[in-house]
Amino acid sequence: MTQARIRRQDAAESTGPVALLGSADVSFAHPSEAEFARILDFYRIAWQYEPHTFTLRWHPDGSPAERFTPDFYLPELGLYVELTTLRQSLVTRKNRKMRRLKELYPDIKIKLLYGRDYRSLLFKYGLQPRETAAAGTPPPDGEPTDAE
Amino acid sequence: MTDVAVVAREIVLPSPASDGPVAGSVAAGEQPLITEAPGEVLFSTEAIQRRVRALGAAIDTDYAAECPILVGILRGSVAFLADLIRTITVPIEVDWLAISSYTGHSSSGVVRLLKDLDSNIRGRHVLLIEDIVDTGLTINYVMRLLQERQPASLKLCTLLNKSARRIADRPIDYVGFDVPDAFVVGYGLDYEQRYRNLPYIAVLDPALLP
Repeated sequence: MTQARIRRQDAAESTGPVALLGSADVSFAHPSEAEFARILDFYRIAWQYEPHTFTLRWHPDGSPAERFTPDFYLPELGLYVELTTLRQSLVTRKNRKMRRLKELYPDIKIKLLYGRDYRSLLFKYGLQPRETAAAGTPPPDGEPTDAE
Repeated sequence: MTDVAVVAREIVLPSPASDGPVAGSVAAGEQPLITEAPGEVLFSTEAIQRRVRALGAAIDTDYAAECPILVGILRGSVAFLADLIRTITVPIEVDWLAISSYTGHSSSGVVRLLKDLDSNIRGRHVLLIEDIVDTGLTINYVMRLLQERQPASLKLCTLLNKSARRIADRPIDYVGFDVPDAFVVGYGLDYEQRYRNLPYIAVLDPALLP
């Protein structure tokens, strides 16, 4: 899953591939990310895929112990977006990372779209069975996971 | 043309907090206009009309000497704009635009104008009228498009503001109601083109869909 990921670097070292108005050249880790990129493309919202990594905790020697790489950065809006369409255990972990990110980097604007948000978005565009979208049915545990 | 407010008074609505079917109050020999809500009623006809009148009064005050162009985005804003303009007493103009919607799996597709404005808005005061602002992606595109035409001012009025999934967060100048994170229909808002004609706004319950 992660082999197609771009190389991550610490925050403020933005070197990930920059994709503006075009999702065809980016290898996404999860189909939901590709669909979200197509929605952004459609509405002409510029985006970058995983351009920044934020260090959340450090080892005593100062090396990073925990990192977080939001899925998207929307430069025109100054907003990071993290998609989570995953099982609850991973959502809980991601929520904890989000809280830590906001503590350490209070100026960072980030939006976490939960599985229910994402399915509702697809439902809005007529792309998802309404029962699944409206009920917020969690995906099976075997659903592929995206990287954090 | 039948007045929406008059039609609304002919329909017996449950309180906004209640759910279940909406009973039609029908004169002898007439067919019921609305027989069943697709879910819990969120805003009754009366609540909507009160709020629309309040919005109209605010617009009256803010645009007292401006003769703004009210631009409705088709198709969802039709009911809202139709009612709103009848509460406004200052001179106004009305125009419409329509844009394509995302349909998925079209990697090269981008939003496009299906119907452009008939008016030249350069130097004019423009008030964009939307039924609901959800992610903000649609309104972000439309406002960027209109801003390029150099209006004297460009403001946004939405009946419903659903901020839970907001991505493009533009200021909204006039808000009718803040709504929870639910799929809502009625009063112009649709599900697969249905329910636009409901005189109230309800949460769509998929279990009640045929």
